[in-house]
Amino acid sequence: MKQITAIAAAEWHYWARSKLALTVALVALLLIVLAALTSAERTNTLAHERNSLQSDALEIFQAQPDRHPHRMVHYGHYAFKPPPPLSVVDPGVDAYSGNVIFLEGHRQNTAMFAERENGAVPNLLGSLSPAFVLQVLAPICLILIGYGALTREREGQTALQLFSQGVSPAQLLAGKFLALFSVALLMLIPLAAAALSAMHHGEAVSIVTSLITGYGAYLTVWILFVIFASAVSRNSAASLMLLLGAWTLVALILPSYATNSGRLATESTGKIESDFALLAELRTLGDGHNSADPAFASFRAKLLETHGVERVEDLPINFRGAVATKAEADLTAVLRRYAEQRFESESRQAAAAGVYGWLSPVIAMRELSMAIAGTDLLSHHRFLREAEALRFDFVQGLNAVHTNQLSYQDDMNRSNDPEAERRTRANAENWQVLEDYRFGAATSKARLANGAGGASILLVWLLLGGLLCWTVGRRRIL
Amino acid sequence: MTLSQELHRELIFLLKQRAVLALLVFVAACASFTVWSGLEEIDQQRATIDHLLSEDRIDREAVLEGQSDYGGAAYYSFHLTYDAPSDGAFLAFGQRDDHSWKHRIRMLALEGQIYESDAGNPALAINGTFDYLFLASVLLPLFVIVLLYDLFAAEHPAGRFFRLAAPTGNDERLWRLRAFVRSSLLALAILLPMWLGAGVAGTGLSTVLLVSLVVLGHLLFWSVIAYWFAKRNSNGPVIATQLLGLWVVLALLLPFLGGVAVTTLVAAPENSEIVLGQREAVNDAWDLPKETTMNAFVERYPEWGEQAEITAPFEWKWYYAFQEVGDQSVESLSTARRESMAARHTATGYLALLSPPLLTQRLLARIAETDVIAALHYEEEIRAFHATLRAFYYPLMFGDAPYSLETLQQLPDFVDPTAGS
Repeated sequence: MKQITAIAAAEWHYWARSKLALTVALVALLLIVLAALTSAERTNTLAHERNSLQSDALEIFQAQPDRHPHRMVHYGHYAFKPPPPLSVVDPGVDAYSGNVIFLEGHRQNTAMFAERENGAVPNLLGSLSPAFVLQVLAPICLILIGYGALTREREGQTALQLFSQGVSPAQLLAGKFLALFSVALLMLIPLAAAALSAMHHGEAVSIVTSLITGYGAYLTVWILFVIFASAVSRNSAASLMLLLGAWTLVALILPSYATNSGRLATESTGKIESDFALLAELRTLGDGHNSADPAFASFRAKLLETHGVERVEDLPINFRGAVATKAEADLTAVLRRYAEQRFESESRQAAAAGVYGWLSPVIAMRELSMAIAGTDLLSHHRFLREAEALRFDFVQGLNAVHTNQLSYQDDMNRSNDPEAERRTRANAENWQVLEDYRFGAATSKARLANGAGGASILLVWLLLGGLLCWTVGRRRIL
Repeated sequence: MTLSQELHRELIFLLKQRAVLALLVFVAACASFTVWSGLEEIDQQRATIDHLLSEDRIDREAVLEGQSDYGGAAYYSFHLTYDAPSDGAFLAFGQRDDHSWKHRIRMLALEGQIYESDAGNPALAINGTFDYLFLASVLLPLFVIVLLYDLFAAEHPAGRFFRLAAPTGNDERLWRLRAFVRSSLLALAILLPMWLGAGVAGTGLSTVLLVSLVVLGHLLFWSVIAYWFAKRNSNGPVIATQLLGLWVVLALLLPFLGGVAVTTLVAAPENSEIVLGQREAVNDAWDLPKETTMNAFVERYPEWGEQAEITAPFEWKWYYAFQEVGDQSVESLSTARRESMAARHTATGYLALLSPPLLTQRLLARIAETDVIAALHYEEEIRAFHATLRAFYYPLMFGDAPYSLETLQQLPDFVDPTAGS
């Protein structure tokens, strides 16, 4: 052990002497800190903005004056998606997905105003977040610091000297590993700080530690491959080129290539496209605005029978409201089916891209990081589902008011008779049907479970790296 | 030796280096793949548009059949608008997903519809797209670095440096020639697949020339920089590290930090305010005296002043008047949004003067028409079409024209002026 730490210490001395290594390490640290700061600023602003917009939307809705309940169905409501606390580390898909949805009767709208539309730099590689710096830039720093770790010893003939002093190849590798690992630990400090600040906003300890451990394991994978490359390469230049080539392939080319193959994996039908099939299906359901629509004939007959009356005018409830309720329920079932199909095809595409995690630890880490931070595709789908549930609940609440509090006669005559119109205005107290809504990240348990896929791929990478160093690497240093 | 003999010799020398050759083949393969996926993607987008157009017509016809007045017809019939990919879009198809390129709109308040987005899968967007734009702006410098960093350094350990340098003295001719041959072959590897793809796609010659010029310019920049760094030092890894550092700064940090700066410095209205404000205006109109809405409407459309009196509790012309007045109420915010997008794009343009990779990216996206300018232009087209739709219905509603399906046969269709070019 003493020899291992001595080798690690010697490596630190070397880095301190060679300005290049020192500069690289400092720049990397600075970048992570910078990314954490800008990311924290962005996350806090967005969370604050969207949470207060959500409260305003509720207040405005509940403050509406007396009016026909169906007008409130179309007045509608908004659902906002604030970033979860760990968005500070990894904003995930949130920058690319909409974050506001208008909720109204009979329609399922899309999420609007994705950040990528804002007109500034269209970043080809993502955004400057601690996640990006750690996933893409930290490895390159480890490469630049470590490519010569073993080739240098061979080029300077110092390796033989060490071996003659009784240092074993395994100890040499372990020492170099320790030195690089300490650099990785330094890089994890800003991440830990950001994650701790997220804990302050309610993140569980298990989530925060998993995230930090995940990044620790990821950087370890890179360190193992740096050491391996350095051990097997002919000279420092070859080692550097091998590592840079691998990095370009694994961190730049494969992730974007995975996107292309994800696109091709499943044909994703856009919303407009699937809406056509949906609209055709909806036409057979009948228009809930028109209680005379023949589609509601059997519903009408059944309702009359249940109440033992002959005419809809004699029903104890407002038939138009009953039709609106039924139509909304039928239509929502169809809307949800199509939405689920869309979610499924998006998930299939993401899964097809995620398979490339077996070829690139960057992709595996990205999946793991987003899953734990609660900023992955699943979280976005959860937001869309929750917004849809919110929509259905308040629309049906209003339809209940429409059914139970309005007279059918008045409802029929309100377009021509101002008095009837006045009587169809429901009391504003009814607008309390709308409940407070806050989008929050999934439970820690669910997120950890989502991260299991990425984590297991990463573990395989870790084992592979360790195995390569232990077997091939150890033998080839000599 | 004549120049052509020297070139020939360098070429033979290069072709004997397996690593260099492998890299060139790899670059050509990458370029071919990006071009191929771009062509596939664009083909699919064109097919989608065709398919949507026919579905759109079927849906509208089905909807119109059940209508009995123009108000209902306008309320229930949607119209497809789209931004067809340009003939160069296959080169930068990744960016096309940043903005929706298809919208279905109807005659209701446009501000409540235009921000709906039928965008691509956000989970795919995070990893970027492997398109030609990405290859030429982000990856190309790395290829140049790998090809040129050890131009001089490799000869030192090989013991050939002085032998090679000797006959030509201090003349750098040999090295320049060697760098030129390597860069030229790299240029061919990256340009040739694009030329082929352009041939398949029927891309205009000027587009191809412009793209080639941008790519060559970017390649030249990095070749000169790499040559200069390579000459200054004799330690290969050190040169490579320096060049890579420069790449990180120019290709990643400057765009990132610049993006943060531009977003912070160029203010934009809170987008939600537009839709929220528009909703209030439209909904309040139900409870306002009808003259208030109609007066505001007639201010824009004095020609309907005579027919603007509303007597019944509900009339379609009043309904559409308050839709339009609702749009007017957030006009300044909506304009400010578009202006801020354009202003941010311009500000990024100045930033791009400091970063050749960013400049390349912007120029290519501009040529391919997949940038913010193109998105804003499409938005203008949607707005213009919405105006056409209103110009079609207003005379029918305000003129109390008898309802006829035949008149609706004249409904305007959205025509993308860039389509088919």
